[in-house]
Amino acid sequence: MKKRRMFIRMITASLMRRRSRMVVALLSVAIGATILSGLVSIYYDVPRQMGAEFRNYGANMIFTASDGEMSLSDVEAAASKISDEQLVGLAPFRYENVRINDIPVVASGTVPEGVKATSPYWKVEGNWFTKSGELMVGANVAESFRIKAGDMIEVTYTPTEEDGTEAELDNSVFFTVTGIIETGGPEEDYIYMTLEDLATLTETDGRIDVAELSVSATSDELADYVSGISAGSAAVSASLVKRVTASEATVLTKLQALVLLVTIVVLALTMICVATTMTAVVAERRKEIGLRKAIGASDKSIIEEFMGEGMLLGLFGGILGSVLGYLFAQQVSLNVFSSSIVFRPLLVPITVIASIAVTGISSLMPIRSATEVDPALVLKGE
Amino acid sequence: MSLLELKNVSKIYGELHALDDVSLKVEKGEWVSIMGPSGSGKSTMMNIIGCMDKPSLGEVLLDGVDISKENKKNLTTIRRDKIGLIFQQFHLVPYLTAVENVMLAQYYHSMPDEKEALEALERVGLADRAKHLPSQLSGGEQQRVCVARALINYPEIILADEPTGNLDEANEEIVVDLFHKLHSEGTTLIVVTHDPEVAEVAQRTLVLRSGKLHKEKINENFTGKIHFND
Ligand SMILES: Nc1ncnc2c1ncn2[C@@H]1O[C@H](COP(=O)(O)OP(=O)(O)OP(=O)(O)O)[C@@H](O)[C@H]1O
Ligand SMILES: [Mg+2]
Repeated sequence: MKKRRMFIRMITASLMRRRSRMVVALLSVAIGATILSGLVSIYYDVPRQMGAEFRNYGANMIFTASDGEMSLSDVEAAASKISDEQLVGLAPFRYENVRINDIPVVASGTVPEGVKATSPYWKVEGNWFTKSGELMVGANVAESFRIKAGDMIEVTYTPTEEDGTEAELDNSVFFTVTGIIETGGPEEDYIYMTLEDLATLTETDGRIDVAELSVSATSDELADYVSGISAGSAAVSASLVKRVTASEATVLTKLQALVLLVTIVVLALTMICVATTMTAVVAERRKEIGLRKAIGASDKSIIEEFMGEGMLLGLFGGILGSVLGYLFAQQVSLNVFSSSIVFRPLLVPITVIASIAVTGISSLMPIRSATEVDPALVLKGE
Repeated sequence: MSLLELKNVSKIYGELHALDDVSLKVEKGEWVSIMGPSGSGKSTMMNIIGCMDKPSLGEVLLDGVDISKENKKNLTTIRRDKIGLIFQQFHLVPYLTAVENVMLAQYYHSMPDEKEALEALERVGLADRAKHLPSQLSGGEQQRVCVARALINYPEIILADEPTGNLDEANEEIVVDLFHKLHSEGTTLIVVTHDPEVAEVAQRTLVLRSGKLHKEKINENFTGKIHFND
């Protein structure tokens, strides 16, 4: 075992007494480890952070009619069961088939302020509609009818008679298009106007098909609200909505994939960096390698020594990197999500082991070239 | 049986015969000098005897083993077990202390033993410099560390390629005295030198010229002590 002591004494001497040389190598390992552990922290923390963000803004509950019809006052009565602080937004929707240029389109009557709160991800080119006589059209509708923001369009409504034939009566109203909606979802096929305008157009009043709500509450509280509302109201049935969670998941997967990609790129760059540094180290120490061989070092001992140095470097770099990585992730989290990250103790050994493995693997090639040094050539005076 | 025997050894680099049909014998316990002009093949010969290179032609018998036929791995083992090397440039590992440099030879040979390494440094008069790095030692002191390292594993044969080439007279004398001590303890010495004063101390001097053994001189009144004739 004295042999191992000498081995450790040798490789630590090589790192400690050649400090200025090894600082560069250590730095490249540490930076790699920092980015790795930082990104992994973020990778695991993003779902938590993003979940909070989404729940704060998106719609996560819907009201539908239990049977028959529900009216705006039913919806408002049911919504009043939710505390004001927790109710971020309420958007009632009523849908009707209307026509533009004699072609059928779905028109939705709603409250613009409510939609802004429940669907903050809607992108509107132009302006939101605010009052009677204004409407927004979905991007697909705008494209089929070549409608631009600022245009005037005529919307007609033809009620259906009892026997299924179309009535003689045609109601038609002119609207100003204030904006085009882009959501990537079905909203792009609809046109949106105020509830009042839709009532005027159809000459019927008060029906609400669905209401979307954004409630900032824990999943337990949400469940309580849902059962409370459904039980307490005859007209309204509440349920938790999956649509936002689904889109949340897509965004998350994309974000995580991006972080993973960056991690792999950083890993590759670190390996290239370490390999380059080790190649330089070996080249610089050719004479020493030749000397070691001349006094009896086998190829195996040379590999062991350089591997030992490389791994020790990986160990130091990994420890340094896990500390810096945590600080880095914390900083990113504070700036992007304005909340602090959870410290994961398990990440420290993982970072250190990964760092040792990465330096080990990237040292393989340079160290192979060390064994090829010819003792005779190196010692030939120079 | 001689400790070392070269039989018609040649080393050929393309057209150049760095060694050309050299045959010689060195007995156990002998002290031999090798002289010759620059480029005459002295280092080439030392590299072959020291198991760091192989001859193009001929046989080299070291302790009865034909080292010209061995593979690299076996050559490393033979070199480690039988040979102590001393060079003109005082080759030491720069980031290891004097005693660690000596222990390095023990490490590759068998087991590092700091006490024994310190004793070896004491023999070359450097007990108080054991913890110094090579950069903190003078050239003469560095060469004495190399001598300590070469003798630490009790090699059969010590090969020194111009060991005093970079030393002043005082240090030259110290190193030659060390050789004398080793020789009187029975170590075989082969010393390449340009310096006639160093060469004359040995029992026998071989002179190489253009890769051939040019002449051989026996020292009739061998004392093992250096005499400066100036
Ligand atoms: N690897 C090599 N390839 C080609 N030629 C070589 C090689 N090594 C040595 N030589 C040549 O072999 C000849 C002998 O070289 P060697 O180093 O043995 O000389 P030397 O007697 O030690 O000289 P010096 O006193 O200058 O050290 C020289 O001409 C040298 O150029
Ligand atoms: Mg030479």
